[in-house]
Amino acid sequence: MSDYEIHELMVCRVAAEVDDEGVVVMGSFTPLAYASYMLAKLTHARDVYIAGFDAVGMQPIQLSFTGAEAAAYKGAVCRWGMLEEINSIHLSNNGSVEAVSSAQFDGSGAINLSVIGDFDQPKVRLPGGAGAAEVIKMYRKMIAYFADHNTRTLVDKVGFVTGTRWKVGDESREAAGLMPGPIIVVTNLAVLVKDDDDRPFRIESLHPGVDAQTVVEATGFELEVPADGIPTTPEPTAEQLRLLREEIDPFGTVKLDFVGGKDRLAYLQGILDAEWERGVAAVRAKTP
Amino acid sequence: MARNKVVQLEEMGALVSDGDTVALGGSWYSNHPMAAVRQLIRAGRKDLHAMTIVGSVDVDLLAGAGVIGHLSFSMVTLEAFGLAPNVRRGVEGGTLGFTEFTGLGLLIGLEAGHRGVPFLPYRGPFGSDIPAHYPDYYSTVTCPFTGEELTAVRAINPDVAIVHALRSDAEGNAQWDGTSGPDVDMAQAARRVIITCEEIVSRDVIVANAHMTKVPGYYVDAVIEAPFGAHPTSHIPVYPVDPWQLMEYAAAASGDGWPEYVERIRAESEEDYRSRVLGNGRDDVLRALVEEARVLGVSEA
Repeated sequence: MSDYEIHELMVCRVAAEVDDEGVVVMGSFTPLAYASYMLAKLTHARDVYIAGFDAVGMQPIQLSFTGAEAAAYKGAVCRWGMLEEINSIHLSNNGSVEAVSSAQFDGSGAINLSVIGDFDQPKVRLPGGAGAAEVIKMYRKMIAYFADHNTRTLVDKVGFVTGTRWKVGDESREAAGLMPGPIIVVTNLAVLVKDDDDRPFRIESLHPGVDAQTVVEATGFELEVPADGIPTTPEPTAEQLRLLREEIDPFGTVKLDFVGGKDRLAYLQGILDAEWERGVAAVRAKTP
Repeated sequence: MARNKVVQLEEMGALVSDGDTVALGGSWYSNHPMAAVRQLIRAGRKDLHAMTIVGSVDVDLLAGAGVIGHLSFSMVTLEAFGLAPNVRRGVEGGTLGFTEFTGLGLLIGLEAGHRGVPFLPYRGPFGSDIPAHYPDYYSTVTCPFTGEELTAVRAINPDVAIVHALRSDAEGNAQWDGTSGPDVDMAQAARRVIITCEEIVSRDVIVANAHMTKVPGYYVDAVIEAPFGAHPTSHIPVYPVDPWQLMEYAAAASGDGWPEYVERIRAESEEDYRSRVLGNGRDDVLRALVEEARVLGVSEA
């Protein structure tokens, strides 16, 4: 299947990490991860629990600005609050896959969502990490995804550690009371994996048409390049593309993070126009 | 006869004093107590210490209107509409004091405050740079039974919590159907609690839906009816987020039109706000979008 866009390949690759065990949580504005979770639950991971907002055990939903939250509640088996959720999911080792996208990420598995520059009077004050500071350590698998693989984002060492994977190898994780599992980085160029405290990330697969040298040059931390050949990241299947385009994300919310500069505002406006039309049509349909 | 705690939104300013630590409910783009936020601006409150878990337009608007002098948070974001412009300006310019918590740490601090213990331990954000910046809130403690070293978070008791519910009776027995976020946790930890709600109902309605009561009245000091009181954030299942208004907000807060944006809110009543922003059937479109929200692949019963 060659007629796909890069964000669709990335959605499918992140979805492949979701399995039938445990709970995945929709974090703060990570639409690519949301689409991955929905795709997984509609295909190979039908038993996974998804929590979005305070709707726990949701059915898969169609993504949109105005519909996602309401849809989450329509299909959920519990309606909780934050403390109940952190106790039951994060702190009780029920979290399976945590996908983040940070301003900076480094080769130790640390993220920076706090500041660029001095902490107390920063050059750029970033949003903060919310639960990610703790959660990327606790979940069975940590995924970091980036729409633009470059050395400003994938850095040697983050300027500020908002949170970190802390223990990486299965043995050291289990010794610390954590579930064993890797860190997986999915970008527009490649998939990187780290599963050992003492070894750097290695290139797990290259996206079609990308060579290893390009990935190494776009990465600010040390990378292991397997000498015996690197597989190509699987392309989306026709059925995955149909689910993504027609069911999960017909408004195109995932692509928003892949549209740069002033095109982004116009793209965003296009999504909002389509959602407004949907609302207006619904009102009109009800009016006698 | 149960105590009647109902007050008008216009009395909001008298319920919060300058300098108070005010925990604001809601999270993501959901259910922030926006009518109360607008009224704090109209009342001219200042030097508040606002506290949020995942803050949005609520704390950004307060920062931009000069109502808060300090912000405690674990995240503040306008999500698709960018970083929070006023919070950014305040922090980067050194005019807004801030305490950045880790998300779980802040919630566990509130839980300690609710239980009346001085701190609570947990397996914390090991390796994070945040705790070292705030020794007044984060420390370590050794388990007396196993010797394990744990993170300790100091108890947090805000002066006031302001949270927005679906409905409440006059006694303050408050119910939620959709997103409640940290509302219950904040209400339980705070010294005083103000409930704003879409609708004040009789006790009978609360009793008939008792499983939806998340904050019983003995926590509550004041109950205020505020329809669309979370707008432009959502209150599910009544209305979704209003992304068109958030986009307008982000543009105003990032550009030259900011003083006028704040002045307009200051000068109008909450009723004026509703007719300005939700008039011409916009409220009906928002409500219809809740119904249009689609669940995929639901298995048959």
